[in-house]
Amino acid sequence: MNNCIVAFCCEHSAYPAADLAGKLKLHYPENLRIIRVPCAGRVDLIHILKAFEKGAAAVMVMGCEGGACHHMTGNTRAKERVKYCNLLLREIEADGRLVAMFNLSPNAPHKFVGAVNEITKRIKESGR
Amino acid sequence: METKIGVFICNCSGTLNNIDFDAVVKKVVELPGVTSIKFISPLCLEEGKKKMLSCIREENIEKVVVAACSPEFKEHVFREVLENAGLNGHLFSMANIKEQCSWVHEGDVTGKVVELIKMAVSRTRLLQPVKMNNFSVNREVLVVGGGFEAINAALQLSRAGLRTTLLEREAVLGTGTTELENLCGFDINAMVMEVKGDENIEILAPAEVIETSGKIGDFNVRIRKGGEEISRKYGALVIATGYQTKLALESKLKSDVNIVSQEKLCHMLEDPELRIRPRTIGFMLDFADENSRLPTLATLNNALAAKRKWGSEVYVFCKNVKVDSERIERLYQEARDCGVMFLKSDVSPKVAAENGKIKIEAKDIFLGEDINLTCDVLVAEECLLPAEETEALSSILNIRRDSRGFYQDENVHLYPVASEKKGIFFIGGCRGNLDLSRVLTDVSSVVVSIYKLLSSGNILAEVERVKVDPQKCVACLTCIRICPHNAIQLVRVDGGKEVAEICDLACEACGICAAMCPAKAITFQGYRDEEILAQVETIGES
Amino acid sequence: MIIAERKPMDEIKRMLAPYKKVLVAGCGTCVTVCWAGGEKEVAILASQLRLARSAEHNEISIFEASVERQCEREMVAEIKDKVTEVEAVISLACGAGVQTMSEMFEDKPVFPGVNTTFIGMPEKEGLWVEMCGACGDCFLDRTGGICPIVRCAKGLLNGPCGGTRKGGKCEIDPDKDCAWVLIYRRLEKQGRLDLMRNYYAPKNYRAVKRPGRIQAAKA
Repeated sequence: MNNCIVAFCCEHSAYPAADLAGKLKLHYPENLRIIRVPCAGRVDLIHILKAFEKGAAAVMVMGCEGGACHHMTGNTRAKERVKYCNLLLREIEADGRLVAMFNLSPNAPHKFVGAVNEITKRIKESGR
Repeated sequence: METKIGVFICNCSGTLNNIDFDAVVKKVVELPGVTSIKFISPLCLEEGKKKMLSCIREENIEKVVVAACSPEFKEHVFREVLENAGLNGHLFSMANIKEQCSWVHEGDVTGKVVELIKMAVSRTRLLQPVKMNNFSVNREVLVVGGGFEAINAALQLSRAGLRTTLLEREAVLGTGTTELENLCGFDINAMVMEVKGDENIEILAPAEVIETSGKIGDFNVRIRKGGEEISRKYGALVIATGYQTKLALESKLKSDVNIVSQEKLCHMLEDPELRIRPRTIGFMLDFADENSRLPTLATLNNALAAKRKWGSEVYVFCKNVKVDSERIERLYQEARDCGVMFLKSDVSPKVAAENGKIKIEAKDIFLGEDINLTCDVLVAEECLLPAEETEALSSILNIRRDSRGFYQDENVHLYPVASEKKGIFFIGGCRGNLDLSRVLTDVSSVVVSIYKLLSSGNILAEVERVKVDPQKCVACLTCIRICPHNAIQLVRVDGGKEVAEICDLACEACGICAAMCPAKAITFQGYRDEEILAQVETIGES
Repeated sequence: MIIAERKPMDEIKRMLAPYKKVLVAGCGTCVTVCWAGGEKEVAILASQLRLARSAEHNEISIFEASVERQCEREMVAEIKDKVTEVEAVISLACGAGVQTMSEMFEDKPVFPGVNTTFIGMPEKEGLWVEMCGACGDCFLDRTGGICPIVRCAKGLLNGPCGGTRKGGKCEIDPDKDCAWVLIYRRLEKQGRLDLMRNYYAPKNYRAVKRPGRIQAAKA
């Protein structure tokens, strides 16, 4: 997988935020691969684990802010799943910090770029 | 036989200039299933779309990938081209090589472009068609409630050509309207007369809702009226059961004759036989309940009336004066100009009854001093609570309430008058929305929404976009319990087995059920596990 | 239904350490519903094992399969071909499933991937609670449908121990409700409080001979 970062982006928040980042010509690392999902709550554990199996350096799950999930509970579920995934990774002595949940609004391109940079930093810190 | 996939690449009128398109085409042509690659720019305008359409027809393309800008903007445009070419619009993916690639990276991005197209192609290979269907719906609407907002809604729905039933708990309409609302100057009696004379509106009063079931376009409601139970069908339900007020007072002060409600003060102001005019009047505004727009309006109106009619000294104790509502800012200015005094505190003032008067102790934050005031009359703060039947009705409807007990909006920002169940709406007081102009907005929003949904007698919706496989379903009830749109029910299939079934009209295609199902019995076309994993597994293959 | 919980990872890794080709077998009934051993959990465990062993430079080939009900021989037989390909099997079914698999494929080690814990129900989403101890001599008729054998910390048969905490909580585990308070309230609702006055002799815990065996009379 050439150490790509796989980002599952919800179509109501992170995906449009990424589009806006593009319109503003903000820059972020080229190894990001965005997969569009209807809600962060659609992302399942196996999607995240398979990404790592295929060689991903890190996985991001990105959904709506706090109480603003378009489908009410999707972002909360995603957060719980990511937390469980941290555990599953730590169980096999892998770095749990390499899968992370980010919450943002559709009009927050800088927050999007910030999240990508944060994950990139974690990858460096984990020595990959 | 491998499906024929056509890949259309656009460079958005030359704005993607860090991509070697020849190299891209060379790589993409090798992908299994790709039988056609065309470079057309701009693809989304008439000329480009025409070329795309002819190419699909001439080369018998069965599924399409477009590598261009974001699907957020153009997905529907290209789906329409597919439909015009006789293909199902869902057999389509977009690779965002513009906003999420070319425009955000320095230098040559050819490698990433190829990968993004590969991801889209591997997903597209697996895509299945999704049909649309016209579901016929019941055009009648039930409005539960008999107050200002309910009556208003019934009248507007009737004008929109929808037969409406107005169902009220009490025997008479309009009885729930409090003095607070009367202060806003509209004639509830005239409105009640209008409703009674409207042919399109049926009034059931006194009556109550016992049970509801069904879905948008097809709700079954059991009603108890005069000792009898009747069953009715409706396309949509509007809940307008209002609110109630409670004085925020310590119990020992409740019986004091000099501490009154806004309504009582109104009566006093209108009483021609009032012997003693209060010389000093205090108002408590918003310490117990910050939801104060309506009390603020009542307070300002009463304060001004007391000043003008009796020449009393008027003091308003408040945390804040919320003026973000029609007329209130102007009234506040008038009140101040008239000499009404506003004392702002962070903490609730201390109130005591002494020698037939009311003593108030408050700390004004601007003066920084303690204020001791003796009033003849104190108008107590009124807390706004959901109407008594709200809790019972919310469990009959299976709808959530918020932390204050009012009905919970589906999405506070996007759909404030809709509940999480498609087809059930709430307006006005029962939502905690207690500002009259906002109530009128609620009513208009709801009428427009219902009109859009029901007026043609049909709703066009996707068929089985998200589907439970009855063979695999173990009836664990997980999806039924967690669907945020209440769109899944337990049904009996042939053979007597009970399984979950998703209602196409109510489903919002979020996929939360598909992720939760422990038996992997739910397929979500376009976002099935295999369709997501195909993209994951393609990453970094090169 | 039967509630189970996945075993700790280090136990699983220890069991599979000597093998290079393993099948993870799930069950489509109880363990699917309690999120312990269904198709999804099979995929997750398989993924974790691949990642773990790859990081240890001790690659492992993991195959995945799921049986509708692992305690039925005919259904287990459906994955025969997959079992012959591997060196060992790790089953995520309850003890009954593991043993059925073991019996069907005697020459292959079949390991338990979950701990079978109790008979219970979902109290709320994701939370399973024990309801029944399978004692073989049910007396729920006398306790208003609440079982003190599993829900009372002391398994008392004749009323509360007297140590009930405020709020009706158990003396031993303050997070638990006192079962006898629950039983009292239930019988009160049903107007059958007189049952509380009856004395019940000590239970015959040998009502179920181990291993249990029941021959149905009907043909």
